[in-house]
Amino acid sequence: MSILAYNGGCVVAMRGKDCVAIATDHRFGVQAQTIDTDFEKVHQVAPKMFLGLVGLQTDILTVRERLAFRKKLYEIRENREMTPKVFSSMLSNFLYERRFGPYFIEPVIAGLDPKTSEPFICNMDLIGCPNVPDDFVVAGTCGEQLYGMCETLWKPDLEPDQLFEVISQSMINAFDRDAISGWGASVYIIEKDKITVKKLKTRMD
Amino acid sequence: MVHDIADSWMDAAVSTGTTIMAVEFDGGVVIGADSRTSIGTYVANRVTDKLTRITDKIYCCRSGSAADTQAIADIVSYSLYYHENQTNEEPLVSEAASEFRNYCYNYRDSLLAGIIVAGWDKKLGGQVYSVPLGGMLIRQPYTIGGSGSSFIYAFAQENFRKGMTRDECVEFVKKAVHHAMYFDGSSGGVCRIGVITETGIDRDIFFATESKASKDQGN
Amino acid sequence: MQAELARELPPAGFNFENCKRNEALINGGFLAPKTVKTGTTIAGIIFKDGVILGADTRATEGPIVSDKNCSKIHYLAPNMYCCGAGTAADTEMTTDLVSSQLALHRLNTGREVPVVCATTLLKQKLFRYQGNISAALVLGGVDLTGPTIYSIAPHGSVDKLPYTSMGSGSLAAMSVFESRYKPDMTEEEAKKLVRDAIAGGVFNDLGSGSNIDLCVIRKNKTVDYLRNYEIANRKGERTLDYSFLKGTTIVTGTKTFNLDITETVIPMEVA
Repeated sequence: MSILAYNGGCVVAMRGKDCVAIATDHRFGVQAQTIDTDFEKVHQVAPKMFLGLVGLQTDILTVRERLAFRKKLYEIRENREMTPKVFSSMLSNFLYERRFGPYFIEPVIAGLDPKTSEPFICNMDLIGCPNVPDDFVVAGTCGEQLYGMCETLWKPDLEPDQLFEVISQSMINAFDRDAISGWGASVYIIEKDKITVKKLKTRMD
Repeated sequence: MVHDIADSWMDAAVSTGTTIMAVEFDGGVVIGADSRTSIGTYVANRVTDKLTRITDKIYCCRSGSAADTQAIADIVSYSLYYHENQTNEEPLVSEAASEFRNYCYNYRDSLLAGIIVAGWDKKLGGQVYSVPLGGMLIRQPYTIGGSGSSFIYAFAQENFRKGMTRDECVEFVKKAVHHAMYFDGSSGGVCRIGVITETGIDRDIFFATESKASKDQGN
Repeated sequence: MQAELARELPPAGFNFENCKRNEALINGGFLAPKTVKTGTTIAGIIFKDGVILGADTRATEGPIVSDKNCSKIHYLAPNMYCCGAGTAADTEMTTDLVSSQLALHRLNTGREVPVVCATTLLKQKLFRYQGNISAALVLGGVDLTGPTIYSIAPHGSVDKLPYTSMGSGSLAAMSVFESRYKPDMTEEEAKKLVRDAIAGGVFNDLGSGSNIDLCVIRKNKTVDYLRNYEIANRKGERTLDYSFLKGTTIVTGTKTFNLDITETVIPMEVA
């Protein structure tokens, strides 16, 4: 088994019309044993920016704290809010520093630019190779299923409520075929003027 | 295997499975090499120049890992250029050779490099030095190296004579390298020959055709 | 500036603190994760008025296509671009780093940087890491010596050639060059040739795919970066529409955070 699949879980982010959505499951496990079913993998790092992290939880905690530290330093030094683009290159450089001894994580970033409100989604491999597409990004133990779901369901210029249905159905149906993801899910829809968080009813097995 | 689609082509290191050669004559040296660079069985470069300039009158023939030999040649070339500037004298071939020896010996565990250093200086005239795999240094009247050299040891011993003229040496090198390119799978392409004398280098290319014609004569 | 004295300011360069732990995990029977590779077709040729670089746009993670339209022709300097194959993060970071070194060099010397300079920086970096940075590069540019193409292998060896290809699709691309390359081609001929070489990789190599990017750098210092020069593989049109009715997904709780600022700000008196 891969170390990235030790704790299980998945994250997906999608771009819509002037909005982005990011979704996560709720399971935290140690290999096959489920420890927690109310465990979120998506963190709000700025008013309109969310960071989803899947992989080895111990590394995720470390990475989150070190990133928060660097982000605060940047914001103190520059006296402005970090844009998702800058945040992703900071994360990318942080991960590449450990090129030869990486953290076992797969990050997903979703957000709107604080000034222009331009939607931004991005994912990386564990050594920080950024991927910034204009449709969707996935990460986690059911990444392959998520790719399939998203390729069929996603289409350009989805309005926030349609984007919610698409991302939710993609995630629910993807992790139904993954034994170590699921047990509930959360969806964050980020719009220019509001953020909506929805908890989904899913299978609990 | 599908999993290895992106990996397999990068597994093997780039190496110059090679034939290289150098011969002393009165007044200079003749150096020769094939032109094949391979990654495993793939020919990465069929027109490689393995006769690498160190100074105007000192060249080296590289065999082994392409990266290793290029890196050493770059360093030695830099260091001799510095030396030349400091002393206002053209460096000796033996100095170049022992510089190569030092790198090849000190880093013998991490390098894969068999180098022939040849050139002309005003103290000893044309000289050929061989620095084989472990980092030994020896001066020889002629020497051969690289994977293709195994096929021409007997040919070289049989056909080498002391006191050959420049043209006889060129002919000798040309024949030997062509034989090696014929029999060795990792040597091939064209035969590059350089003649280094007091005035510098004269270079020539000989194709691996029946007539072994040079580009000047047309093929 | 006090914050800069705070703990955990990272020193420059690679960090090896996790290596021992990771080695222990892998020895404990866990599989090492896969990194994104650009099992790629990249190529470059010299033509009459400059150089042309080409690349496909597929990135893979094992057998999964992780990016269908990634960009593999990286900027180095106004007169130089560089195609990268191998581990995607390595090609990206190596070219970025060298690009900034070249910018500094340009500012220090006040003139255009020659292409050999970039080649030397790249080969020395790759050689120093003994092949552990798996970046295979095709570097193309023009300088006062004219147009040049270099190919740089992951261990740090360099070949200077009139036409070259790299990556898992390099054999397909090279077969096109070997049959059709000739010196002093026109720009249109040369673009067609590079397109065909990359298409050879896209259609015959599993590690390469999607679209074709080109980059033309001319002797007169004009550059055409032709991103998605050809969309070689278009996604099929869906004949049915998978739209969900509102409320398909069962929601157990909703929270909304309004980001509209409702306070009115009273400007500070400055008079």
